[in-house]
Amino acid sequence: MKKSIYLIAILGFFASSSLFGQMRFVKDTLDANGDSVVVTATRTERKLSNLTVPVTIINAKTIQQNGALRLTDILKEQTGLNLTSGFGAGVQLQGLNPDYTIILINGEPLVGRTAGVLDLNRIALGNIKKIEIVKGPSSSLYGSEAMAGVINIITDAAFGAPLSMGIRYGTYNTLDANLDTKLSTQKIQYQGFYNLYQTDGYSIRPNSNSRVTTPIDRYATTQQLKINLTNKTSLVFNTRFTKEQIQNEIAVSNNGVTIYSIGKEDIKDANLSASLNHRFSNQLKTSIRAYATTYDAIQNLLTINGLPYRDVLNHNFKRIENQTDWDLHKNLQAVFGVGAVWEGVKSSRYDSEKVRKQNDIQYAFTQWEWKPINKFTFIGGLRFDRNSQFASALSPKVSMLYKLNAKHQFKLSIGQGFKAPDFRQLFLDFTNAAAGSYSVFGSAQAQQVIARLDALGQIGNLFPSYYQLKALKPEYSNGVHFTWDWKVNAKTNLSTQYFRNDIKNLIESQQVGTYISGAQIYSYLNIGRAFTTGFEVEGQHQLNEKWTLSGGYQYLVTGDKDQIAEIKAGTVYTKNSQGYSRLMQLNEYVGLPNTSKHKVQFKVNYNSPKGYYLNARAIYRSRWAVNNNNGNEVFDNGDVFASGYLVFNTAAGKAFKNGLSVQAGIDNVSNYIDAANLPNLPGRTMFLSLKYQIQHLKK
Amino acid sequence: MKKMVSKIAMVLGVSVTMLACSKDEEVIVVPVTAITVKDLAADTVTGIGADGRPQSANSVTYYSLVDNKVIAAADAATTKWDVAFTSTKILVNSGTSGPGLGGGFVFKGLFDELKTIPNDSTFATDNANASSFAIPWGSGKGWYTYDGLTTLVNPIAGRVLVIRTAAGKYAKIEIINYYKGGTTLPATASDSDKLTKQRYYTFRYAYQPNGTKTF
Repeated sequence: MKKSIYLIAILGFFASSSLFGQMRFVKDTLDANGDSVVVTATRTERKLSNLTVPVTIINAKTIQQNGALRLTDILKEQTGLNLTSGFGAGVQLQGLNPDYTIILINGEPLVGRTAGVLDLNRIALGNIKKIEIVKGPSSSLYGSEAMAGVINIITDAAFGAPLSMGIRYGTYNTLDANLDTKLSTQKIQYQGFYNLYQTDGYSIRPNSNSRVTTPIDRYATTQQLKINLTNKTSLVFNTRFTKEQIQNEIAVSNNGVTIYSIGKEDIKDANLSASLNHRFSNQLKTSIRAYATTYDAIQNLLTINGLPYRDVLNHNFKRIENQTDWDLHKNLQAVFGVGAVWEGVKSSRYDSEKVRKQNDIQYAFTQWEWKPINKFTFIGGLRFDRNSQFASALSPKVSMLYKLNAKHQFKLSIGQGFKAPDFRQLFLDFTNAAAGSYSVFGSAQAQQVIARLDALGQIGNLFPSYYQLKALKPEYSNGVHFTWDWKVNAKTNLSTQYFRNDIKNLIESQQVGTYISGAQIYSYLNIGRAFTTGFEVEGQHQLNEKWTLSGGYQYLVTGDKDQIAEIKAGTVYTKNSQGYSRLMQLNEYVGLPNTSKHKVQFKVNYNSPKGYYLNARAIYRSRWAVNNNNGNEVFDNGDVFASGYLVFNTAAGKAFKNGLSVQAGIDNVSNYIDAANLPNLPGRTMFLSLKYQIQHLKK
Repeated sequence: MKKMVSKIAMVLGVSVTMLACSKDEEVIVVPVTAITVKDLAADTVTGIGADGRPQSANSVTYYSLVDNKVIAAADAATTKWDVAFTSTKILVNSGTSGPGLGGGFVFKGLFDELKTIPNDSTFATDNANASSFAIPWGSGKGWYTYDGLTTLVNPIAGRVLVIRTAAGKYAKIEIINYYKGGTTLPATASDSDKLTKQRYYTFRYAYQPNGTKTF
């Protein structure tokens, strides 16, 4: 296996050295004042300082100096973001589950969620130019899933060194090898990126030799090609392909009896996009984008005693879209877009792995940006999504920026986001033979399936909720974000943000009836109402030209509105220390599970002009509820919590003038382990990496 | 089986009961005592099977609420017992379980606040053939929830088991916990403890011998 890396590296080196005859090194897209350009917030290029919505930018240098390999590594160190475990590593944004954040690569959505979670370990960071995180509902531009926010991973063929190779080795035989080749001329910009990631995984759970993170082999390659046909017309192609293989030999011992099983998972993920961009004039430009992606996951579990288990999921998504940007006046700019999506899933959990379940979407959006005076910008946007499988959605959003003076500016955004019912909620057809033979039927076919079972005399009872089953509506969120940016002085920035998201139509599984045997039958209904609210403070202080301090804090309060109503009505009970039931008080309510009240991170950064760098990062997350242990289905102080924890990460390195750079790092220095609640956090891990990049190729 | 029985005198507020009644009614207040039964073994685990599931003798522990004692299994087909326990399943002396006048239902509310069984209450009986029991059996259906993650059984807060005894009188039960020692094991307890210390009921009950539905 390791031989193949060297082979790829060597081949790539020869291939690229012959390509780079004429090289042009292009710098990061910063304007003269060092202001970053952001595309995700408005779908147009805007300076960070002119945005009306809160955006976080993570640039390539931060990613590299932190020693972050996968998207999860860098997101967990951001204010307001937490990683979740279970069905891969997902990201929770301002208290909202991973289902509610859309993940884009160069503006195109990734698919392949399991139980709503997109495993962010799938995304390698070796060739990333920057990551943009938009907080707050953004469905007015991006449609479904952009309810909590948007994470857009941006690569750019014209950015960075023409050739770089890197290899990193660390604890648990974790190996990561990168090859990045670029060609940049006036006419053509090309980037080819290859990544290999292997790990033996690790076991941190006592009494079990099964590994929490299993041995994984991951390959990823992305290719980007930009062709400037004329100075007004360009073509851009992007491809991305990842392949992942996970194999795990599981042996669970209990009182001397050991059960062996072998799990194997193969995941393939491919994306392909093409866009044609044309500028008619300085005021008018348009682009046509076509995108196709497919995600295949096959899981096989073989147990010595018991039936083999096989789970197949194929998800594909095709989209064609046109976006036109029109500057009607120097103070008024408009964006218009239309598009169509064809989305389908084949899964062994929905009917059969051979039957394709389909949802088609047509949409249109517009956004108007008005700047009546220099100090004030107003943006209004609206998007309409028409769905073939469920109710349509209309997503409005308004946002504004007021620059009081050189030191203070304020942003306010109010928007509605939505998340379409997913295929599982529509089409699941699942009966658990192992535990009580209960069934879960997706709402699109529950009534049909249950009526058929009823005709066969298999249905015992139908609950009132059965008669409430109808086409699922999307889940909606109304979000308000208010931000105050304060430039305290030339060396210090502070940003404070208040946020509140009110969610309605939450789709939850609900019992709709019973079999004649008494086993339960579930389906999905729009029943829940919840909220997340709080504030964030982020700050940065430059001590001198070498040392920088930065940090962030999030205070978060969440709750299920129906549960709160029940507690107020006096129908929720809890237990006292003797085990006797008593009435639960509202002040004992802790909100939604897996949400922490406090999250803090702090970073010390050193960068010398000679190329030395050092950083130390601390991340703290307060306790979060994981389990209900008094059967009241409401989380209170008496329930099971994961304890709060503090993790330290550090990395240091040096970039030499000849293009060589070395880096060493230690993650989780204090070796914090919580096998049950933080399976994605191994104990202390160390790594060493070497990178060689050619900055300039001579003719 | 060792069991400890402690008595908690719980004299119902006489004045409160009197206030609730109209003046011309004669009030007969019978003080009902709440009794706590600790660590009542109910088909405890003897080992683990090749399939990884717990093994046991499939025994049933019969209990008389009237006499506050365990009744021998040999008397299963008599009206000597009122409730019976076998792992998480609770039986009443009726239908497929026994020859008595037993019955029951799960009341949502607090033990102390259930002072009179509502008149419109329906007492169900056991019918093992249809997997239906007066005290519904299964996680989240009757008195407990089973947490697959921690593999622990937790009694649901605010559930009172209202029981009609074999003789047709009334009692109320609150299950306190399911583990030996009288407290539910912590989530971090060893697998071995979770296996061997389960199926020990601690519960409190009040029995009204005068045949009324008032406690």
